[in-house]
Amino acid sequence: MLSPIHQINALFIFFALILGPAMADVIRSVDEQTGLLSWRMQEGDFELKVTQLLPDQTRAFFLARGFSKETANTIATGCIMQTIGSNSADKDAHGAVDVDLKRWRMLHNGSEGPIKPKEQWDSEWPAGKVSDAARLAFRWATFPTQQDFAPGDYGWGMTSFGLLPGSYFDLKVVWSAGGVQKEAWIRGIQCAEER
Amino acid sequence: MMLQVLVRSMLLLLLSCSVAVSGEQSLMPYQGPQPAPDFELVDVDGGKHRLSDYRGKPLIINFWATWCPPCREEMPSMNRAWRKVKDEVSMLAVNVGEDEDTIFIFSADYPIDFPVLLDRSGAVIKQWPVKGLPTTFVLDRDGNIRYTAVGAREWDDDALLEIVKGL
Repeated sequence: MLSPIHQINALFIFFALILGPAMADVIRSVDEQTGLLSWRMQEGDFELKVTQLLPDQTRAFFLARGFSKETANTIATGCIMQTIGSNSADKDAHGAVDVDLKRWRMLHNGSEGPIKPKEQWDSEWPAGKVSDAARLAFRWATFPTQQDFAPGDYGWGMTSFGLLPGSYFDLKVVWSAGGVQKEAWIRGIQCAEER
Repeated sequence: MMLQVLVRSMLLLLLSCSVAVSGEQSLMPYQGPQPAPDFELVDVDGGKHRLSDYRGKPLIINFWATWCPPCREEMPSMNRAWRKVKDEVSMLAVNVGEDEDTIFIFSADYPIDFPVLLDRSGAVIKQWPVKGLPTTFVLDRDGNIRYTAVGAREWDDDALLEIVKGL
């Protein structure tokens, strides 16, 4: 017969096994002023926030960077989200959080595939279609395809998912911390609709 | 006019998405130390600046753009830091991809009293270990990279500036 302490330990182990790995916390919120939706995920020291961007706002931003109306519209209607990643560990902690967008996956209409990194956009614009200045601005306004976040670091930028305005999808976020790969799903993200 | 309104609303929206920076301002020690890649760039007045000419004092070098919300957010603290330590520390703001007129307009709302250099083509930032904006490097008196900060910081934090002054 197990002692009370061992019984309690056994119960904890039992529930841990049946519930599986700890789930990331995901909070969906609405900006009171803009009505735009955000999804905030946190697991351990890694935080990620994905926020809707209106197609009109994205159009205006890239027009101001020197893109043509046609190309700015193509970008703006490709489900662009403002994304912020951060390592919230104490500044004296060690170990970076490594994020590589090429490992992320999105699930839309039952089909799973990669998100659209900046390099893919760049490859769609032959020389002369987009000015060097515009291309440079795009490169730096978009979330880094790969980045190590040291404690206290955060990175921001636009991420694109290649879906039409108003579309819904699930996002599998993949990152590494302490050499261990982790993943979490953010369900029911919606691309902002035209207003 | 409508375009300006939309761009402004975009920048406000992006700024509202910023992550709160912790009270303690962190700098990540850089693996090395490693000599910083040298360069020569012009400032907004056409004056030439060579990085290696800044040896002899610690240097804070910030890569940024006017349309980058966290860059805009931290610029006032960078200017306050400059006022605190300009006799002991050098500072450079390397703008990526923009022209002097754009920076002139920006500086009306965000004064920058230390040199702003123009990396119009992005050739310099390519030589540095930068993945996103803003990224700031702190160099020691010998021109080696000693610390990095990815994302905005409160640069006039006294504890942070003591670290920089000691390099």
